[in-house]
Parts: sequence; structure tokens; C-alpha cells
Amino acid sequence: MDGKPGMTIIIKTVVRIIVGLIFLYGIYIILHGHLSPGGGFGGGVILALGLLSVLLAYGREETLKWLRLGSLRDLEHATPLLFLLFGLAGMAWGSAFLANVLSKGKLFALLSSGTILPLNIIIGLKVGLSLFLVVLAMAEFDLNEGADE
Amino acid sequence: MTLYVLCFVLFLVGLYGLLTKRDLIKIILSSGIMGYACNLMLVLFGYRRGAAYPILEKGKEAAAMVDPLPQALVLTSIVIELGVTALLAALAIRLFQKYRTYDITKIRRLSG
Repeated sequence: MDGKPGMTIIIKTVVRIIVGLIFLYGIYIILHGHLSPGGGFGGGVILALGLLSVLLAYGREETLKWLRLGSLRDLEHATPLLFLLFGLAGMAWGSAFLANVLSKGKLFALLSSGTILPLNIIIGLKVGLSLFLVVLAMAEFDLNEGADE
Repeated sequence: MTLYVLCFVLFLVGLYGLLTKRDLIKIILSSGIMGYACNLMLVLFGYRRGAAYPILEKGKEAAAMVDPLPQALVLTSIVIELGVTALLAALAIRLFQKYRTYDITKIRRLSG
């Protein structure tokens, strides 16, 4: 360890190579949620695990240096509003809350599900960022706080 | 029938850990095992031997499928379990800050 934050250089190198592939897999799972097993939640968890591998390998300070936490938090807080906007669009142009307003396309094509695809993307962002922020908040806990008992 | 009994045995493993272990982390893990046993039981209720997964695909006939309703229910249950586990972990961290131990027999003074 020799005083540096994070783990050894082997783990750092492997994480640097593999984290892009993890993100790619998560995005694939989210985009194909209406065609195959998976969807917003599963893909979001995979995205969060990619971020967590960076957090574990590089340590908290190093991660927060290249990961702008403020914008991530804003994005995470904005996703329920986006979901609500899609629901209200269903009320305005369709029949009910969250009704489909987009074209349904051809069966088994990627763009074949109307509003399900954007909703899956929104849910994936929300789940991934919330999970990451939960673990980050736990990492912020100082175990030695209040040790004067 | 054997599968349901094994499911219940898994639930009992979690219950045993919850009741007898002293370490807070092991108690949290035991509650997770209990939840997983419940999820497994719910998925097993919708299982049919030799049936396909309930997703339409190109070139696949709509044959006998397993019941997708318990699976959707279990997905919700997994999310709630995740939240409960995070809450329990946060409580355990706060208790460690206060008492400097995870051993529940040494956590006895109830002070704010």
C-alpha cells in the first residue's frame, strides 16, 4: 500500500481496462430491456457496479477528482421528474398516465416499444446513480467518530 | 415438493443465523438469506417443468411459459431488500461509532 490511496497497481490497471466494458454491458442491458431479460434495474445495477469497482480500486478522493459528484447528484435527482414528464405526456396526448405516445415501430426491432425505452433509460440512470451514491455515503462515514466514550 | 422443503430449509438457515449469531454483520447477512429464500419460493410457485422463459422472440413459437407475475413481484422484492440491507448497514455503522463493537451482547446501554 505504501501510503497511497486505493489498491495495488495490478488492480488499478485491470479496472482501468475493464470499466469501459462494464459500462458498455450495462448500457446494452438497459437498451435491450424490452427485448430480452434485463431492463432498467438490472442495467442500472451493472452501471453502479462499474462505478463501485473504480471506487474500490482508486479510493474515494481519487474517484471524486475525475467524477463530478455535483452533476451526478443533480442528474439522480432529476430522473423522477423526467419519469413524471413522460407520464404526463401520456395523459396529455394519450389516454392515461404513462400511456404510449411514441411510435411502436416494428416487432423485435430496437425501437419497437414506444415510451418503454426512454423510461428504461431513466430508470437505469436512477438506479445506477442511487446505488453508487448510497455506497459512497457509507464510505463517507467515519468509524472513529465519537470514540471518546 | 422437495424444492419447496429445501426452500424452507434455506429460510430456516437464515432464521438460525438471525437468532443465534452475535455479530451485527452476520445478522444482516442472515436477514438477506431469509429474503432470498422467500424470493426463491415465490419464483418456484410460478415455475413449470420444461417451460420457456416468458419473452417473445423472433422465430420462437409461443409454447408453454413459466408464470411471469411472481418474477415481477420478486424484482420489486429484491429492490426493497436492497433498501432494507442498506438501512441495516447504516444502523450498524452508527452503532459501531457509538459502542466501538459489532457484538450485540456488549451493546446494552440505551442512551441517545
